[in-house]
Amino acid sequence: MSVATGTLRLSGATYRYAGARHDALTGVDLELAAGSVLGVVGPNEAGKSTLCLVAAGLAPVVVGGRLTGSVTIDGRETVGMRPHELAQRCGILFQDPQAQLSGTASTVFEELAFGPCNLGLPLGDVIDRVEASLATLGIAALADRDPARLSGGQAQLVALAAILALRPDFLVLDEPTSQLDPQGTRLVGEALRDLARESRTAILVVEHKTSLLDQLADRVVVIDHGRIVRAGPSAEVLGDPALVELGVEPPPRVRVRAALAGAGLRTPDEADQLLAEPAR
Amino acid sequence: MRPDPGPDPSVAIPEPGAAVLPAYVLRVPTGPYRALNPLTKFVIAIASAVVAFGVRGWTGPLSILVVTAAIALIAGVSRSLRRFVLATIPIVASILLVNAFLYPGATDVLFRVGPFAATGTGVTVALQAVLRVIAFALSVAVFSLTTATDDFLADLERRGTGRRLTFVIGSAIRTIPTMGSRAIEIVEAQRARGLDTEGSIRRRLRGIVPLAGPMVFGSLGEVEERTIALEARAFSAPVRRTAMRALPDSSTQRALRWVVGLGSLVLVAVSVAGRFPLP
Amino acid sequence: MAWLSRQFSTRVIVLIPIAIAINIVLGYTVQTILKLPIYLDSIGTILVGVLAGPIAGALTGILSNLIWQYAPGIGGGTIGPFAITAGVIGLLAGIWGQLAVYKSRPASGRQLILAAIAAAVIVIVVVIPIINNPAYTDPNNGYPSWVYTAAAVIAVVVAVVVVGFIYIRRDLAGLWVAVAGVVTGIIAAFVSAPISAIAFGGVTGGGTDLLVAALRQGGSDVLHASLGQGLFSDPIDKTITSFVVFMILSGLSGRLLARFPLGERLVRDRAA
Repeated sequence: MSVATGTLRLSGATYRYAGARHDALTGVDLELAAGSVLGVVGPNEAGKSTLCLVAAGLAPVVVGGRLTGSVTIDGRETVGMRPHELAQRCGILFQDPQAQLSGTASTVFEELAFGPCNLGLPLGDVIDRVEASLATLGIAALADRDPARLSGGQAQLVALAAILALRPDFLVLDEPTSQLDPQGTRLVGEALRDLARESRTAILVVEHKTSLLDQLADRVVVIDHGRIVRAGPSAEVLGDPALVELGVEPPPRVRVRAALAGAGLRTPDEADQLLAEPAR
Repeated sequence: MRPDPGPDPSVAIPEPGAAVLPAYVLRVPTGPYRALNPLTKFVIAIASAVVAFGVRGWTGPLSILVVTAAIALIAGVSRSLRRFVLATIPIVASILLVNAFLYPGATDVLFRVGPFAATGTGVTVALQAVLRVIAFALSVAVFSLTTATDDFLADLERRGTGRRLTFVIGSAIRTIPTMGSRAIEIVEAQRARGLDTEGSIRRRLRGIVPLAGPMVFGSLGEVEERTIALEARAFSAPVRRTAMRALPDSSTQRALRWVVGLGSLVLVAVSVAGRFPLP
Repeated sequence: MAWLSRQFSTRVIVLIPIAIAINIVLGYTVQTILKLPIYLDSIGTILVGVLAGPIAGALTGILSNLIWQYAPGIGGGTIGPFAITAGVIGLLAGIWGQLAVYKSRPASGRQLILAAIAAAVIVIVVVIPIINNPAYTDPNNGYPSWVYTAAAVIAVVVAVVVVGFIYIRRDLAGLWVAVAGVVTGIIAAFVSAPISAIAFGGVTGGGTDLLVAALRQGGSDVLHASLGQGLFSDPIDKTITSFVVFMILSGLSGRLLARFPLGERLVRDRAA
């Protein structure tokens, strides 16, 4: 898909919403390199959604508020960019599938074309991008459906495809499966796995479902009260039992191992291997 | 704020072999009258309304009645007209009763019903008003029944209407049914909790808040999220938006639109000046 | 031109369709299911006017009427020609928005009493000459005398309700909101009367046509009977609507309001 280069970088990013009394983010340092997947976990109200908006540049450009420190995409500050420029560099996906659809398209095809048409691209390019997005996420069968009548998981995939149609180098996902049922979660989770594997799009994903991050992310950061408190390779961060104290539930394999260890059993290596493999 | 026009993307014809829009996106309307360009149908609807209301006397409304009935027959939607005509019954009844019996200054009494006297002048005015209302209702019906909103908006967009206006209209039309079902759910829930939809006026008045509150605050709460979502799709890009769908048009239709549009205004002007030759 | 552009920021473009839907759904629900003799179909229009300015408000009103008239599946009825009235209502709301009419003005005991007295004095000063002036009771140009007595009674009732509101919420805004509502209603009535007279024989198709009949029976001509009906129902409807809008605005977060072109005026003195 996209030949992504460059980095999305936050340096000492401190952000406060307009009219708020406290900073929502304080001194955040983060780096998202091409082709990597970064997971973000943390308790409720920790600033995870704010982090998504700041990383995508929408805060402060669209949402207002005050940002100190720097947020750069390929070295260019996001605060200086217009919303449509940001949209082509960093896509963002939210929790509620229907709220982020345009609400004006009769078919999924037109929904995906909404962004490219907004950019005024020639018709041939628009069609190419729509078909590419449909293919990437494997939803070509949904192309003639009414977006308002899709299931949660399907709508979320359509929203994701619509973002991909803008060919962003970076993707920010704010709890993409939190409002979905288990089937929808599985649908979106698999699509994200394939996307991470096949494209060079860099992904930052906030998730409560740490099992999903376990399979997707290379690195994970833990955020609490607007600050990064832990950062490291995903196996290490997610395997840390101290995660529970921060209000984050570790992935199943970590919980199982902890339970077995707590019962005094030593886990044989084969069991370790088994637990490390992604669930099918 | 003037966007850079650039080459008009919708006019560019893709080369053979290049990507083509699927039929379910193009959705070219077919059938007599339906196949006309949406703007043509809209001009006809507005011109009909203008003539029906603006040309005083019998000829204006009667001719529009005949024309719209004919169009409905041609387009094959005459059976669906009933709903629109029925919706005018309350106001038609009012017009007839109030004007026939209580037309100010009229003295040519036709008959009496109790203390009320029906006057010739009053009945004439009443009947003409009823004809106007029904002619107007039919002109609206014919447009609604033969024109998909999507088509109308797509055509407007191709003609250069800004993306913001087409978004507002398109989004409003799609939001209304959603909000409507939400409203029905809330009314049902309130009824189950004892809200009176029949009782005294005071009780019904108090019933508005539990209905309006959740509905209004719920939808207003989505404004921020939807704004961000739109910006994330490059909605405010300062370029001319690509118009995907092109509804067919022709120079004949363009001429028709001008003739019908200007003609209706001329007729009204003549009628207002008192020089309209027909009754 | 920049002023016009700011009135139509993306946020406003998102708000308008929601406001249109509120107009139509609430208007329809109130009229059919709850069967109240008021319309409440301008809540969205006034909301947009107050938050985004007169042009945005006018557009919301006009589009609401046109969509309610012409949209497939929704369309029908006879509301279309009154798009002009709806546009005027939105325009006025924009003016009220510029003047920060809907801003909360918390007040202490003494200020409230002064405001209440002022309101009562205004009502008395306006009403008494009308009742006493014989010219107003001349048939063929005015209304039968009972109309003026009824108007006086309604004015007193409204004044009492408004004063009560001001007292209970300790908020002077009640006075300004009531004035805005009444003025909007009066202007709306004057705009609607000729439309109703020309297009619909001076009636509306609703219960208030009984009032039209009574006025004509008393000697008023078509236009004045229509105007009389409008002056009865519109100020009441628009005042109720204005108070509803005021309640909505005070229930919205300052953060949300401040992002709108005129929203800042509403939150300037707010705590958070």
